[in-house]
Amino acid sequence: MRFSENGYYIERYVKCANCGLLIYGPGIAGARHGKSALYCSEWCVEWARLADSGASDIRLKIVPTKLPIETGYQLPPRDGPPDMVMMNILDSTMVSICREMGILLMKTSYSTIFNEGLDFTCALADPKGDMIACAEFCPTMIGGMPILIKSCAQEIDFSTLEEGDVIIHNDPYRGGLHVPEHTLFKPFFVDGALLGFAVCIGHIAEIGGTVPGAFCGEATEIFHEGLRVPPVKIIKAGRDVEEVWKVLLANVRTPRQNYGDLRAMIGAVDLGVGRISAIVRKYGTAIFRRTCEDLMDYSERRMRAELAEFPDGTYSFQDTIENDGIENRPYIVAVDMHVQGDEVVADFSRSSPQAKGPISATLGVTTGATYNGLLHLTDPTIPKNSGCFRPIRVVAPPGRVTNVDYPGPLVAGNTETHPRLACIVIGAMAASVPERVMASESCTGTNFVFGGNHPDYGEYFACYDIMSGGWGGRFGADGNNCVISINGNCRFNPTEVFETRFPLRVENCALIPDSGGAGEWRGGLGFQRTLLVTEVPITGSQCSDHHEVKPWALFGAEPGGNGATFIRKAGDSRWLTVKELYGKVSSSKYSNVQFAPGDRILLLTPGGGGYGDPHARARERVAEDLRAGFISAEAAERLYGYVS
Amino acid sequence: MRTLIGIDVGGTFTDFVAYDHDTRAIDVWKELSVPVDPVLGILRGLEQHPERGAIANIRIGTTVATNALLERKGATVAYVTTRGFRDVPFIQRGNRKSHYDMSWIKPKPLVERWRCFEVDERVDAYGRILMPLDESALRDIAAEIGRDPEIRAVAVCFLFSYLNPAHEQRAREILAAVLPDKAVSISYEVLPKWKEYERASTTIADAYLKPVVSRQLATMRDRLDAAGILAPAVVIKSNGGEMTFARAVESPVNMLVSGPTGGVIAARHVASLSGIRQLVTLDMGGTSTDVSTVLDGRESFTTTFEIEWGLPIQIPMVDVRTIGAGGGSIAWIDKGGMLRVGPESAGAVPGPACYGKGGQRATVTDANLLLGRLDPGNFLGGRMRLDPAAARTAIEEVAAALRQPVDATAMAIVRIANNNMVGALRSVLIERGLDPRDFTLCAFGGAGPLHASELIAEMGIPRALIPNHPGQFSAYGFIMTNPRVDRQRTTQTTSTRFDPERVTEVMETLVAEGMTELFEQGYTADIEVYRSLEMRYLGQNYELELPIGADALKVDRVERLWDSFHEAHLARFGFKTPGEIIEIVTYTATLTARSKSPAPPAIAPADGAAVPAGRRRVGFPAGPCDGVAVFERAALRAGHTIEGPAIIEEAASVTIVNPGQRVSIDTFGQIILEAGSH
Repeated sequence: MRFSENGYYIERYVKCANCGLLIYGPGIAGARHGKSALYCSEWCVEWARLADSGASDIRLKIVPTKLPIETGYQLPPRDGPPDMVMMNILDSTMVSICREMGILLMKTSYSTIFNEGLDFTCALADPKGDMIACAEFCPTMIGGMPILIKSCAQEIDFSTLEEGDVIIHNDPYRGGLHVPEHTLFKPFFVDGALLGFAVCIGHIAEIGGTVPGAFCGEATEIFHEGLRVPPVKIIKAGRDVEEVWKVLLANVRTPRQNYGDLRAMIGAVDLGVGRISAIVRKYGTAIFRRTCEDLMDYSERRMRAELAEFPDGTYSFQDTIENDGIENRPYIVAVDMHVQGDEVVADFSRSSPQAKGPISATLGVTTGATYNGLLHLTDPTIPKNSGCFRPIRVVAPPGRVTNVDYPGPLVAGNTETHPRLACIVIGAMAASVPERVMASESCTGTNFVFGGNHPDYGEYFACYDIMSGGWGGRFGADGNNCVISINGNCRFNPTEVFETRFPLRVENCALIPDSGGAGEWRGGLGFQRTLLVTEVPITGSQCSDHHEVKPWALFGAEPGGNGATFIRKAGDSRWLTVKELYGKVSSSKYSNVQFAPGDRILLLTPGGGGYGDPHARARERVAEDLRAGFISAEAAERLYGYVS
Repeated sequence: MRTLIGIDVGGTFTDFVAYDHDTRAIDVWKELSVPVDPVLGILRGLEQHPERGAIANIRIGTTVATNALLERKGATVAYVTTRGFRDVPFIQRGNRKSHYDMSWIKPKPLVERWRCFEVDERVDAYGRILMPLDESALRDIAAEIGRDPEIRAVAVCFLFSYLNPAHEQRAREILAAVLPDKAVSISYEVLPKWKEYERASTTIADAYLKPVVSRQLATMRDRLDAAGILAPAVVIKSNGGEMTFARAVESPVNMLVSGPTGGVIAARHVASLSGIRQLVTLDMGGTSTDVSTVLDGRESFTTTFEIEWGLPIQIPMVDVRTIGAGGGSIAWIDKGGMLRVGPESAGAVPGPACYGKGGQRATVTDANLLLGRLDPGNFLGGRMRLDPAAARTAIEEVAAALRQPVDATAMAIVRIANNNMVGALRSVLIERGLDPRDFTLCAFGGAGPLHASELIAEMGIPRALIPNHPGQFSAYGFIMTNPRVDRQRTTQTTSTRFDPERVTEVMETLVAEGMTELFEQGYTADIEVYRSLEMRYLGQNYELELPIGADALKVDRVERLWDSFHEAHLARFGFKTPGEIIEIVTYTATLTARSKSPAPPAIAPADGAAVPAGRRRVGFPAGPCDGVAVFERAALRAGHTIEGPAIIEEAASVTIVNPGQRVSIDTFGQIILEAGSH
């Protein structure tokens, strides 16, 4: 038995020095930057050689790296052309099944981040871990799913799975996104043959670790971020594995709530397996398998047609994360988008080395963010399955903020760095397709989490509630006000739900005038919310950003407004940051601050960057903004040259 | 002397159904709608009725409220809310319509931000008053509203008013006193349920509609009177009940889904004649299809409706789901070479290619014509001649792109259109945990009977029912409605802290409020009360509705109540959590004043087998059949049976019978289509 440096049990895994994928097997030995290095494929050896040679415009046709689970998979035989009617029927039926799974999850789960926040996704996968369908829930998880299942296949021999097994997994170092994101998947069999999985990925709010609610702004190790669960069976052949349940629930602050969330997720995969099995029986295994392949080929074709519309070239962009919560210094996330014909290689090699604090992203996050950015630039009607992603290759060498190495912390990588990465992918393409892009959005979930003892129920509560900020200005339209950042499609809690669930009071919920970056097309506005601590003290933590760095603008516009967090202690009249009050390094990332009854927490979200010269903005739009109070008279004059 | 008239105002036609209580005779006719003046279409249609003096009652399904909302032609509204929260209608909930669509523009609320006002007041999550209403500040706000001549109505939504309405009620008094000429809507009366954005959005919509609906209904009454039609008229509510004009003016938001409810009510009624209690309805027209269910003889209700994505209206309404698929849905090839059907529709103008009115693109109707499922000379009872050559040309274009034969392409179009409808049927059956094998499909609308045969086969539904007058079925439903009131209230109660006296009082207050509302409209007898609770496990955020008896909240019955929730959770979601704390969130009382439902006349019994009027080649999913028997519906008699493949034609529709299926005609002339082993 061996333990590897990245946490794997028994086997030792290492990452490709070029693209950052885990290498299974011997790999290809080589050297990079004067050190010995391993590569996953000849393609990566060549890409690294070209990149290190200083070539500015690299072109290398994508050769996907095949994982062991894929190389052993027998594609179904083809007899004749694809059946378009069958494809249409199966795709809409599978998406409907995924949607139904999501609705069950929404209706039966306990955490507000599930049932109001909709921070989850539901999908169907084939036996090689490719996503064959998903419903429109949380984008970050949609992009991350294929890597996740394929990674689990390295530890669980799928041929040993039984009907009724449910596997749970949340380990970011095994293809995951961050520790709160739990993946449950259940195999489905027809006539004894494994045909795929029903999968659900969802954010469980409280998972133990240093702070209630997982978002430990001052984490320096993965262990601070909560209980890490490698792929294990939570249900075996239809029966609860009680030992696993006990371990899971003993390590969290809100076991009753977690039990409810896990039951809901199990309910969702049970439902998915039941539904998809009936569909496979109806149409037959051979037609089902063939049609799934046809659907992925179809989505690949659609995506290639979209990418071919981008002019060839290398497009670069970068953004700055203000700090990591541990040291007061910035980190760069950078991408070079190599557009070559109907393919794109997104190379993140110029990004900063990984941070001490929790802002780094796993490869799953970086890959998902790249897909997310590109999906925003292409036709939204392409069926979302693994086929979409074939013409896209991500290069993210390990040990950087864009591919964190064990045991680095990473909880904010999925919520804060993901949108930054998706937005720089979009920003890079501004030089290529200016009419399709958007300036930076707020790029933060704000992520103020808190916990305490509930006076009514005599049990511990923990809350993760998300907040929304402005979208960037776009060609032909202003940024929308107050939309959850691009990595999620969540809803935040209504005040009436919030106060009913948690012993806090919300004192306001208000747009922030002038927070949208001025431009011909103005950025959307952020908003503010003031929380008053009432009967019981709470412990609060936060993982946010854009308190110091502003959301970037495009084509001569102004950046979006900063977010902020201010505290007003009971009996004090001053609004102060946690840096001023508690000596924290960062106002946007901190952990375990104690708030007493009477304390107020004021959370402000960033606005979006503008698009185009503010002086080119139609005068009637400026006048309308002024009348609605979206901008002040002072800003109208200073930024737009407008005097009413 | 006792004629009841149901009127359904649609986009193209206004449908009329007259029912004579004495003779039980039913008369059905149509009049062209006049979109700019819907009342004119109604009056013209009523002129065709021979005995205007005999009209006892008129029930109207109207789109007045719906159109005002969709076209954004309501009144200018002011909004008054708790200090700190005026931006709630603008901030909304943070989610977006679709992933990855960067062109999306967030919906604008029905109120401008500069007409939103905040006042000091606060109720907490327990219904306690934390800060009293600042009445003098509210008077100042009222005065300011009064100075804006454009404002016609005021919406008020305070936090937690569903727990304690005192401030909202006082605000209404003050506003009414200062602004006697402006309509006022308060959220406690419109929607006393939690979640402030959804409640505010609904309340603003109510205020937005009040001046328009009030004006239009007053005009309609005046013009009916002037035309010598003095019979009382009522409008159909979204919950399938009826309400007087006076009541409609008080809560116009309840009229939003007026028309589509008629078909569901009619379906419930005709199915009950055959003893059918589990029903799924399919109303397929030219551009859209409405799907709904009847469970245990009762329509299904929902409170999720959106003006457009993200602008919710959460009033109780018959759960009718609409998809953009109909006979006019256009077939097209997407960028990846996949055949798609809809949601774009050729509509009535230019219409399908075969209408010969300038439509060039292939539609579902063109495919049905090409496959011999429609008779070009017998469409709409022969009033319109279809052009098969134009249909073929349009479909050939699609076939060329697909590199498929024309007939196979036409069948592919029909199958994909069917699959779109299967999706809608799945959403109301399978996705709600209901087994299609327990159901009957009631298909109506011009195109419903044309597709019912394949839909039951695809869904595993054992039979379909094609009612009489499938083309005027909504108006037919209106002659069967009853006055109905829904009262709902959110009050959190848990199984661990349960006060039987208090919850009984909440429920009985709702019942009393409903009674009063019905009394005020003149209904005093035969009132049926239906009570239900929306419950969940503590921590969940969505509820299951459980019907309860009048004494279910009594202390000695309450254990049974919790047990029935666990069982309902198991049945709906596949698991339960025994021992978990249960929360009651919403109390609902539904009151219906029962009137005697009209009974349709029986038709003559068959003597001998049904005789086909002709034979032709028809395409089916399993392949084409030659010499398929074509029957005229009017010639069929009670007890006739027909084996598929067959076609039954009538003026407003065509019923397809696939090979292996079987049809029988019941006592009332309804077509019962059995799936067989197909």
